[in-house]
Amino acid sequence: MTLDFSILLRFQDALALGLWMTIKLTLICVVLGCSLGFVIGLARTSRSTLLRAASSIYVEFFRGTPVLVQLFWIFFCLPLILGVELSNLTSGVIALTLYMGAISSETFRASLKSIGPEQLDACVALGLPRRVQVTSVVLPQAVLRAVPTLLSNCVSLFKESALVSAVGMADLMFVGQNISNNTARPVEVLTVVALIYFVIAFPLTRAVTLIERRVLTKLAI
Amino acid sequence: MTMSFSAPLVKIQSLHKSYGPHIQVLKGLDIEMKPGERVVVIGPSGGGKSTLLRVMMGLEKIDSGAISFGGKPYISSEGADRKTVIDTEVRRSIGMVFQHYTLFPHLSVIQNLILAPCKVRGEAKASATKRAQALLERFGLGAKAGAYPAQLSGGQKQRVAIARALMLDPKLMLFDEVTSALDPELVAEVEQVILQLAAQDMPMMIVTHDMWFAKNIASRVIFCAGGVVAEEGPPEQVLGSPKEERTREFIDRVFHIRH
Repeated sequence: MTLDFSILLRFQDALALGLWMTIKLTLICVVLGCSLGFVIGLARTSRSTLLRAASSIYVEFFRGTPVLVQLFWIFFCLPLILGVELSNLTSGVIALTLYMGAISSETFRASLKSIGPEQLDACVALGLPRRVQVTSVVLPQAVLRAVPTLLSNCVSLFKESALVSAVGMADLMFVGQNISNNTARPVEVLTVVALIYFVIAFPLTRAVTLIERRVLTKLAI
Repeated sequence: MTMSFSAPLVKIQSLHKSYGPHIQVLKGLDIEMKPGERVVVIGPSGGGKSTLLRVMMGLEKIDSGAISFGGKPYISSEGADRKTVIDTEVRRSIGMVFQHYTLFPHLSVIQNLILAPCKVRGEAKASATKRAQALLERFGLGAKAGAYPAQLSGGQKQRVAIARALMLDPKLMLFDEVTSALDPELVAEVEQVILQLAAQDMPMMIVTHDMWFAKNIASRVIFCAGGVVAEEGPPEQVLGSPKEERTREFIDRVFHIRH
């Protein structure tokens, strides 16, 4: 078998468009998913039993089922139940946002819990009102502590986003599969697609390590 | 705050505090502290020393009893459900430093110092920064204003924690085993700062295991054991020739460990 990677040059525009779609989808779902995850993280530490129970069910359900099944369910079943048509982009955004929300809520919850009671003692001893305790002491520390794990979550989301190709969304994976089918060159095409994912994900995972070492060691939190 | 010289600064009456139904820590504690006094509280672990300070700071609920400051009652337990009522306005006159520094790790030294003055008292950032810088210079930490707590030694952290409490101009300082977590060579620098405050007549209540420090700083020593005041008096008496048998046993044991 002879390998000819030059055939990919003909499809570079299509690959670039696919990659752009993957990045766009990831960014949208990172922003929406992290916001959702933050609110759910707070709900899971809330005093209200109802809020805690509801948020726990959501998180455990989405962490305990495959993302592909969630995606298919939202794409095929949700429109039947709601009686509305959902585009593959909308389904993809909903599914990945819910997935990101579930995993990042755990990250936020853990970082909120890691702030020791002695920090709150110090707040009381300084007479800081509750609002200042939350906005100036608890939240900044929780977010800082969450950053490395959140970045790892983002890398996971970027990779999981390839699943949306299964509902026909024209992301990098979908474009790669199409080129591979049309050219009958799966080895070259899928290898290059894998490399493109790697080239983007790898620096992000390195960044996680760097941030952990530099920022968090400096602050020792 | 106006008060006659002899009026107590702090008056603690019949203070009871328990953790759960079985662990009674304070069993009717009575203490009076006059203005300008430096009270050192010593005693065995679990005797209620730290709990006493935490209650005075409003960090713990009480079962019964009352505490007043400058003649004003500010902690009491009221109603049928014995709810602990704390007057936060009076509590703001009290500063506290803890064993484990409790600096805010995400804020620089200077930000740690100005947070409360700016957010609680609404002081302008420029004026708070100026005061904070002066205080840091005084404690030999002028060069550390921009550093983060993790970049400081234990002794430096504790001096920053003291400076942070002083930024609110407290009328009483509580020190809870502030040198217990420090390496021996760092203890002196923190004790020097507290002695400096003592020289300026800052009223303080100190919980410590360091008998040398207790002897040097105290105007009165309280031996707290079993949740009550077992003995109190001038340092030379309580530390030198205690009247009570259990005070003597404790002092012997502590000095035995130290020498």
